[in-house]
Amino acid sequence: MTPRPRRVAVTRQTVRTGSSGAGFRVAAEIDDDTELGDTYMRALMGAQLRLGLLVCLTVCGALAALPIAFELFPALGAASLFGLRVPWLLLGVVVFPVLVAGAWLYVRQAERNERRFVATVDATVDEGDQP
Amino acid sequence: MSTVVSFLVGVLVGLAGLGIVVLSRRAGTARTRRDLGTEAEQVTYETLHTAWSAAPPLRAGLSQDTARKAARHLRGLLRAPALAITDGEHRLAWDGTADQHADAAVALAATAFRTGKVSVLGPDRVACADPSCTLRYAVAAPIAVEGEVQAVLTAYSAEESAGLARAAAEVARWASGQLELAELDRSKARLIEAEVRALRAQISPHFIYNSLTAIASFVRTDPARARNLLLEFADFTRYSFRRHGEFTTLAEELNSIDQYLNLERARFGERLSVTLQISPEVLPVAVPFLCLQPLVENAVQHGMEDRADGCHITILAQDGGSEALISVEDDGAGMDPEACRRMLSGKGDAGGGIALGNIDERLRQVYGHEYGLVVETALGAGTKVKLRVPKHRVGVHAT
Amino acid sequence: MNSTYSVIAVAIVVTATVLIGANGLRLSRTTSDFYVASRTVSPWWNASAIGGEYLSAASFLGVAGLIFAYGADMLWFAVGYTAGYLVLLTLVAAPLRRSGAYTLPDFAEERLASVPVRRIASLLTVGIGWLYLLPQLQGAGLTLYTVTGLSPLVGAVAVAVVVVVNVMAGGMRSITIVQAVQFWLKLAAITIPMVFLLLAWQHDGAPTPTGPTPPAFTERTTVRVNSAVTVRVNEPVRVTVTGVVDGHRLRESPVRLSTGTHRIDQGTSVTFSAGAVVPQVTSIPATTGDQWALPLSGTSGDHSLYVVYSLIVATFLGVMGLPHVIVRFYTNPNGWAARRTTVVLLVLLGVFYVQLPLYGMFGRLYTPELLMTGRTDATILLLPARLIGGIGGDLLSALVAGGAFAAFLSTASGLTVAVAGVISRNTLRRFGITGFRVAAVGAMTVPLAMTLVSSRLSVADVVGLAFAVAASSLCPLVVLGIWWRRLTSVGAAAGMTVGGGLALTAGLLTLVGAAQPGWWMDLLRWPAAWTVPIGFAVMIGVSLATPGSTPPGVARLMARLHAPESLGLRSTADREEAAQ
Repeated sequence: MTPRPRRVAVTRQTVRTGSSGAGFRVAAEIDDDTELGDTYMRALMGAQLRLGLLVCLTVCGALAALPIAFELFPALGAASLFGLRVPWLLLGVVVFPVLVAGAWLYVRQAERNERRFVATVDATVDEGDQP
Repeated sequence: MSTVVSFLVGVLVGLAGLGIVVLSRRAGTARTRRDLGTEAEQVTYETLHTAWSAAPPLRAGLSQDTARKAARHLRGLLRAPALAITDGEHRLAWDGTADQHADAAVALAATAFRTGKVSVLGPDRVACADPSCTLRYAVAAPIAVEGEVQAVLTAYSAEESAGLARAAAEVARWASGQLELAELDRSKARLIEAEVRALRAQISPHFIYNSLTAIASFVRTDPARARNLLLEFADFTRYSFRRHGEFTTLAEELNSIDQYLNLERARFGERLSVTLQISPEVLPVAVPFLCLQPLVENAVQHGMEDRADGCHITILAQDGGSEALISVEDDGAGMDPEACRRMLSGKGDAGGGIALGNIDERLRQVYGHEYGLVVETALGAGTKVKLRVPKHRVGVHAT
Repeated sequence: MNSTYSVIAVAIVVTATVLIGANGLRLSRTTSDFYVASRTVSPWWNASAIGGEYLSAASFLGVAGLIFAYGADMLWFAVGYTAGYLVLLTLVAAPLRRSGAYTLPDFAEERLASVPVRRIASLLTVGIGWLYLLPQLQGAGLTLYTVTGLSPLVGAVAVAVVVVVNVMAGGMRSITIVQAVQFWLKLAAITIPMVFLLLAWQHDGAPTPTGPTPPAFTERTTVRVNSAVTVRVNEPVRVTVTGVVDGHRLRESPVRLSTGTHRIDQGTSVTFSAGAVVPQVTSIPATTGDQWALPLSGTSGDHSLYVVYSLIVATFLGVMGLPHVIVRFYTNPNGWAARRTTVVLLVLLGVFYVQLPLYGMFGRLYTPELLMTGRTDATILLLPARLIGGIGGDLLSALVAGGAFAAFLSTASGLTVAVAGVISRNTLRRFGITGFRVAAVGAMTVPLAMTLVSSRLSVADVVGLAFAVAASSLCPLVVLGIWWRRLTSVGAAAGMTVGGGLALTAGLLTLVGAAQPGWWMDLLRWPAAWTVPIGFAVMIGVSLATPGSTPPGVARLMARLHAPESLGLRSTADREEAAQ
């Protein structure tokens, strides 16, 4: 009778990282409130804030400069262009397309910022199990 | 004659006035004596009130935030100039004067933390270099949850005081009680989570069998429809088993219900008719996961059992200002209201009974007791289950 | 003007509103191809709905009336009412949507985890809502009075009752489609008459009101004064009076009105010959056509520059604090949709507001008598019949009246629902829907009482006050809450209280007439230029001074506000599950 081979004890060897799969690595960092995640978030926030302030201050600043311009240059207030007085042309007609243009440019750039952020986040992912 | 009359009237008025005064005094004193209490009683009331104010933060568990909020009230209870709450390694909260002592608090609490007994510390350990600082003695009382020391409460004073030591020990024991209640709350939440999983497991196999059978019946006669149904089925099961958080949007839940109804219609054909009235304004609302779909399954089951002529199900989701108003109605067999009440209270029997009770409990847990389910039913009269979900609640977010 | 059509138009609008509110729109589906997720509201619908609720009495009648009365400086109202949405878009729209908040008090609680802060924000929201409701009721009163001659109080009470009944009967559903349709109705009510007015104006030789003279009657006109006014006459003029002028009762008597002020009592008719200069009510200073067309020409007082800047600050920053606007952003499914909705909204508002200066100009040309009665807000209602005449003019006037009433009803409904929601959420939560209904009555009672008590509050002033309070208290809360991590609950509470309190006090002092003319009066009447910086400063300063009360988990919250939707951050439960 041949002696039976000795058994060897086996346990699961790998350590669970707790990740639920591809695409979530950096998101996990953001989730877990780590320094790394915070850095990513601050970068995006900074970019969006700068963009928002840029558009807002440019357009609204230009508008807000008009009263001073009219005060300092009364001739501007009395002048006419295309048959309309300049203040009426600017404040009654031109301002609206300008606001829409500023808004549209902002949205385009903001979405671009976000798409770039998502691409950056996903690019730092290891191959993991597919969701 | 008129003088006599006026004199009599004056006397009557005076008597009436006197009577009123006496009666009110009597009623007044009785009230005063009974209601406001003696001075000792007043101190007790104040103490109980302050203790009660410290309860809510601790009920949420022990963390830096809750400790900070509780420390303020606890220091008021003890009337100590300063109070610290520490766990084994970090200082969780400091309340009161002289924060230069704050950093040393963990070290002072070390003995109490290790031994689980109240320790008293004298000026040699406590006093600092600043001559104007009045903190010279400290009492460290451990806060233990189920026998395990989780934190230490350290109260400072200017003089050695047995009274303070006793009071600190009592307060620490009381805080322990609150934290144990917090543990119980957490256990309850875990239990409900387990029930949700059981809910998933309970409904799926039965449904899987029926759906696959129905799909199979279409494979030869209408292959395109069979394929669509299979894809819907795959989507539906993926939603059910998907690993995600506790909340989802109403849009997704309704989507899953829509898929489920398609599959059931494949099985029952024309006998099952469904009306959906969905206001788009409530689609983004975050709802607890699986808070609606089991109700629809119940409605289909109750509606289709014992009825050859089929049933009609109506699902409404309407905008109600700051809430979403949702209802699921069927014109099936209805339920005995008493049985329904038992199910809502969690005493129902398995087999359709878990869903109502579980959803009701989860809604109340998350949103409060005003947001429980309302079921309108009677035997033979069909059933209507109504839910209300607030559009916003702190901490509730769909993922 | 035959006002029968107008009355019919108003009646139709009211009936339709009540019916739709009571029954809702039955959009049921019984087919199997109902894909629910794709049914989310598209930006065009949502923007139309926001526009529908936002274009209120102030927009519809008030701005044109102001431009008519005071000239170029009043153009800033229309600009501000629109530009506020650009500020909202660039700084607030997407993060606010992502926070999941339905109202601003919700956002306050979400961001700062503090119930006292939510209560303060709720109080301010209710206050701003009331201030905004008041001019709706007044505008309705004015419209009904212009159309039917009924006392303005009747119109105010009518709108109040209809709205409350509607809301209580289940109209608390903010049905997007209904509001969207209302916007297009209002736009049509403004645009269609404008087309005809332009044609008639061209036919008339396209005159402009600029010139060296103040407005004058173009033909022999009889003005009937329906509530007592004090007018200032700058050039002696011969008139025929039936009624009471300066205390003298006259009957068809020719009178020479000398230079100076004259008091004309209720019920008096004054007939002017063609070319006579219009005596203006003392609250509207008389200006020549050139002065009227010039900006900063002193028509709004001696400190025009300050007033204009205060107006700019209030409107640009106050839009984000209006209660009925913010709740509509919730309907967007995500942050991207919120942004796009705002862009579309800017287009829609632009198309609407660009026509109002034209109305103002036409008013100055063709309805100058309103300068005498002081009710310049009525100009849009009167112009079609005046300029076009005949049945066409009556129909167009009816269209405008219907549109105006639709404006009051929709804005008043939106505000009542928003305010009642906030009230019932904070105090009557236990009572559910009954609590909401009670709150709806309460939400309307206060503005109605204010209307009945104060007969001649200027609509523009009250609306301006609402914007100023919003800009001084809720704007700092939202902007700092979204972008600044170190905002604390104590700081937010302090900033809102101080900023909002100052603006409110200043406004109330003005409204009760406690302000003395001079710098003081202008500072109080247009407080935004100083209350908004104070609000921000207090909020920032107190937050920096109380670092301990920063709520925990701010980083996670910020991540949720700013991270794009496609990133898929997990929730707490998932992380715990993964950690086990």
